[in-house]
Amino acid sequence: MSLIVKMLFLAVSLSPALTLLVWGDAVAWPLLGGIELTFDLNPVSGFFMLLLALGAPLVALPMLRGAHEGPAYGLYALLLLGMQLLLLAGDFIGFFVGWEIMTWSSYLLLLRSERSDLEGAQSYILFNLASAFLLLAGILGFYSLTGDFRIEALASAGPAEQLILAALFGGAFLIKVGTLPLHIWVPRAYDQAPDTFSAFLSALMSKMGIYGLVLLPTLFPQGLAGLLGSLLNGPAAGYILAWIGVITSIIATFKAISQEDMKRLLAYSSIAQVGYITTAIGVGSSLALGGALFQALVHTLVKLLLFITFAGIILQTGQRRFNDLGHLIDRMPIAFFAVLIGIIGLAGMPPLPGFAAKYLIFVALIDARWLLLLAAMLLSSTAAFIYCYKLIYAPFLGHANSPEAKAATEAPWPYLVPQVMLMGLLVLLGIFPGLAIELVIDPVLIGLGMAALGAPSPGELATAYGGYDGVVLMSVFGSAFMIVTGLFFLLRGRMRRAGSAYDLSFAGEVPTAETPLHYGAGMGRELRRIPLVDWILSRTTTRFQAGLTRQSLAASGLLGGLYRRDPQTWILLAVLLFAVALTLMLLAGGL
Amino acid sequence: MLEFLDSPGVLQGIYITGSLTLFFIGLYGLLAKRHLLKVLISLAVMEMSVYLLFVGLATSPGETAPILADGLATFTGMADPVPQALTLTAIVIGMAVLALGVSLAVQYHRLTGNADIRAMSELKDS
Amino acid sequence: MELQLTPVWFIALPLLVAFASPLWVRLQLLMPLLFAVPLLLLVLAISLVPVVRAAPLLETIVIAPPLGIHLHLDAAALVMLILFNLAGALMAAFLWLGDTEPYLRGRQPFILIMLLITGCTGMVLTGDLFNLYVFLEIAGVSAYALSALRRDRGALEAGLKYLIIGSVAAVFFLFAVVLIYLQTGQLNMAAVASDFAGIPAPMQALIGLLLLVGLGIKAELFPFNFWVPDIYRGSDPATAALFSGILVKAFIFVLFHLVFLLLADPDVARAWLMGLGALTMLVAELVALRQQDLRRMLAYSSLGQVGLIVLALGFASEATTAGALFHMVNHTLVKLLLFFVAALMLRRVLSLRLGDLHGIGHRMPVATGLFVLGSLAVLGLPPLSGFISKLWILKGFAAAQLFWPIALILLAALIEAAYYFRWIKVFYDTDPAKAHPGIMAGPVQGAPVYLPLLLIGGLLLLFGVAPFLLEVSFVEGAQSLLAREATLEQVLGARL
Repeated sequence: MSLIVKMLFLAVSLSPALTLLVWGDAVAWPLLGGIELTFDLNPVSGFFMLLLALGAPLVALPMLRGAHEGPAYGLYALLLLGMQLLLLAGDFIGFFVGWEIMTWSSYLLLLRSERSDLEGAQSYILFNLASAFLLLAGILGFYSLTGDFRIEALASAGPAEQLILAALFGGAFLIKVGTLPLHIWVPRAYDQAPDTFSAFLSALMSKMGIYGLVLLPTLFPQGLAGLLGSLLNGPAAGYILAWIGVITSIIATFKAISQEDMKRLLAYSSIAQVGYITTAIGVGSSLALGGALFQALVHTLVKLLLFITFAGIILQTGQRRFNDLGHLIDRMPIAFFAVLIGIIGLAGMPPLPGFAAKYLIFVALIDARWLLLLAAMLLSSTAAFIYCYKLIYAPFLGHANSPEAKAATEAPWPYLVPQVMLMGLLVLLGIFPGLAIELVIDPVLIGLGMAALGAPSPGELATAYGGYDGVVLMSVFGSAFMIVTGLFFLLRGRMRRAGSAYDLSFAGEVPTAETPLHYGAGMGRELRRIPLVDWILSRTTTRFQAGLTRQSLAASGLLGGLYRRDPQTWILLAVLLFAVALTLMLLAGGL
Repeated sequence: MLEFLDSPGVLQGIYITGSLTLFFIGLYGLLAKRHLLKVLISLAVMEMSVYLLFVGLATSPGETAPILADGLATFTGMADPVPQALTLTAIVIGMAVLALGVSLAVQYHRLTGNADIRAMSELKDS
Repeated sequence: MELQLTPVWFIALPLLVAFASPLWVRLQLLMPLLFAVPLLLLVLAISLVPVVRAAPLLETIVIAPPLGIHLHLDAAALVMLILFNLAGALMAAFLWLGDTEPYLRGRQPFILIMLLITGCTGMVLTGDLFNLYVFLEIAGVSAYALSALRRDRGALEAGLKYLIIGSVAAVFFLFAVVLIYLQTGQLNMAAVASDFAGIPAPMQALIGLLLLVGLGIKAELFPFNFWVPDIYRGSDPATAALFSGILVKAFIFVLFHLVFLLLADPDVARAWLMGLGALTMLVAELVALRQQDLRRMLAYSSLGQVGLIVLALGFASEATTAGALFHMVNHTLVKLLLFFVAALMLRRVLSLRLGDLHGIGHRMPVATGLFVLGSLAVLGLPPLSGFISKLWILKGFAAAQLFWPIALILLAALIEAAYYFRWIKVFYDTDPAKAHPGIMAGPVQGAPVYLPLLLIGGLLLLFGVAPFLLEVSFVEGAQSLLAREATLEQVLGARL
């Protein structure tokens, strides 16, 4: 019985793939009052459906481990249904329906984690509903202009109306992708969600916000350029959006570095990475959008890989903090390679495809001559190396800081299978960036009415500012890696004898078994010595939001006082109001 | 000497002042008295004042009961029967509500020993 | 003699059955009849749909209007009748199938529930103002008695408070009726409506305000609704479901029926009603944030939804009115569901305080799951029907380029989400330290009691996915509610 349910669940998780492969004609569903939901697959939604099709079964696999949990499977199926509706929708109502189903089903999944607390759960659902209601307000504004709910460009609208619509839609999508200062729910949710589900949240659900942002410029007759005029040879609205993305990624990167908890670090890194995508969408050229989509693809794969791997580590050790782990490289080698590949992709270093994505975005920024943005982005992507380093060093190197870390073994196979598949995919994408562009990115760009990027050969990435050959790059890096690893294993025995981790001593102290022996420990503290970074890290919107909560509760208490009176006060109030209203009406009536 | 009192205008004035005075007496009792029975009585007084106003203003002096008998063959000079019928119905309803109220109040008093409307605080738990 | 399908049955049948109750006690048919009568009337109402669609049914009692009393069954009233009888049948099924407390199973509740449904039906059907007053009092008295049914401290207190505030409302309403009769010499609503414009303006204002206060208290509008949480808190949850599901809907309907009929120009009342509706909604949602008792929380949520409905009806465009009618149906279903779940939890846990319900989702998974479903529907989240009706209302405002109600409705929904999801989070709390194992003193509920709840859940989902099934009914209801001239013509023309 349980096995059948699990098989069924796995089949359901393949449904996005099935949709992608066998989707036929458009489907329409009449709702009421002339509203008709239409569903169809177009190149843009197809791209995001592809991400979903890749990710959904890979997350479902680890969920199948252990006792069978009917409600969780049901909610996951609902979540997938919602996201597919969202992507297929050809009209705003269908889009909203999918968006909301996604929101509440993911919330209910989140509640199933033992770590979820009231604050985290509330901030998740309230931010997401705020996003949804902004979206609905935008949809209704759109409807009031066109009298129609279909997703297509406005025929004509005044500049103020366009701006309000852009603000409403933009607000909705920016909350979803976790832009600062509206990000507060992201780290809490990714931290508290069931471990494998965090992968889904970060890798796939944040992409729905990206989907919205990609669609946003197509709603307006002149795209982003029509909103605020132009600035620095580009649309001013795009420039603002790009800065929002870059600032988000800088701050989130520093926040990530200072985290002590693995999942929180990944959460902030996710915010930062999605920030790059926002920036690229702001730039808006076909090169930049290509970069954005490429980055979305890579980020999905990387975050799936990292979250699933760390979920495996947490499962095996029960530890979530960097300082409680260490020296897992011998016990969990596959996880080590997964994280290694993951961080190379995350940092955007060659030869993995993260490099191609960042390269495209950088080139797009140069092409738009927005050099200040480029500099800011370089800063954030360089700083990202630090947390990437922390991700690999703290759990895997150094020495084990907890009994669990000393006894851990490799994660069970439902975790390993997705890891291996994702590593393979990332390497393949690294070798053939041109193929990805031809097959995946260009159809979207053409669908959006932009110039295709094209690629001279499957292995090559080419832009007007130069390119590279992934095959060559991968062979060089691959052989270098082989040589170094081979040498390491050859000399390994001798190096072991050369000393232990405890031979290290610094500043006259001799470390004990309790001293965390990795550079990641206390990294956040040291970071604060940098003046500006300290300022950034000490800012938080938590207090503002706590204040808002407090104020609403105070208003609630104040108004609630009205309802705590006795019947005579109720009557007195009614009679007084009656008398006042009557007097006013008679006076106004001219008596 | 008191004939002027029979003129419709003055009569209606008296009815209006009288019933409004009653209404406000009832309202005062409703708002100021704390004993449950007094509150219910005040309610009844308020209702009564509305009935009085209705019956008073709907009839004029000299009208007879709307019954065709004793040689009366046409509906002339008769009081409008509708307000009286309605008032009777309303009195019955008011009576029923009052009876329910008093029985609830008595039960409440038996159960709690309390008959003060402002001391009813079982439900204020937030 | 052939039995005719006339509107009279909706009033006569429950009254007859209620007064013959000693017979049913002897035959042990109380609960089956409590279920069967609304069900029968529901079937009758549904079978009347095509008839009413052709032309509204006018049923004259003894003398033709405007002198006599008549019942007026148009498309809007039919929607309400179907709703009331559906809710009545669901309520009866819940009481019948469950492990219901004895004071809700006997002869008294049987008569009172029947009378409540009759009163509400009568208010909706009648075309006569004084008749309306009578039905209003019938519904009122049975509601007072119902809320005091448990005969303990809280219930008696609720009954007394309800009786006092309800009587005040009735006095205000009666005063207005008296003034209308003195001014126009008419009691038939249509006849009054055609003469209403002739009344001097100050008197119009006085009558309007008296009606507003009287019906505002009954229909739970903001500055007059301070009594609501106490009554809902003190009554049994199943009874509160009736109040929130049927009684309030009837009063809202009456309020707007009168407004649309009496005022030739709805603009006069529009500002008042929309303002009061918006205030009701926002204040109630805000206050609900802090509630610690499930019944009180649901009471405030009910107020919030009432505010939304009044806001939408007050705007009086066809789309918002149709949406508001739909929303009434949804809200009735949802509140029945939520209050039934509350009743089940109360039976199991013997308390409905937030602190005592930690982790109840793990012990009563079906009930809590249904609560979540109901919450999603009341919040207006797709794919449940609450979304569709809210969307309809919002679309109506958007089409009229009126944006402040949209902003307020969405803001209120966000606040509403804040407390509903707080309760849901507590229900699914996994922290065992907070759970009160000792307090789970009540018996485990049997499976049959979940049948009506599951049926409601299914209806919510069905209306959410396929709302076009009901669309025509609501649009016609809205049209007949707003078509003042046509109604006047029908009624006054029928005199000849």
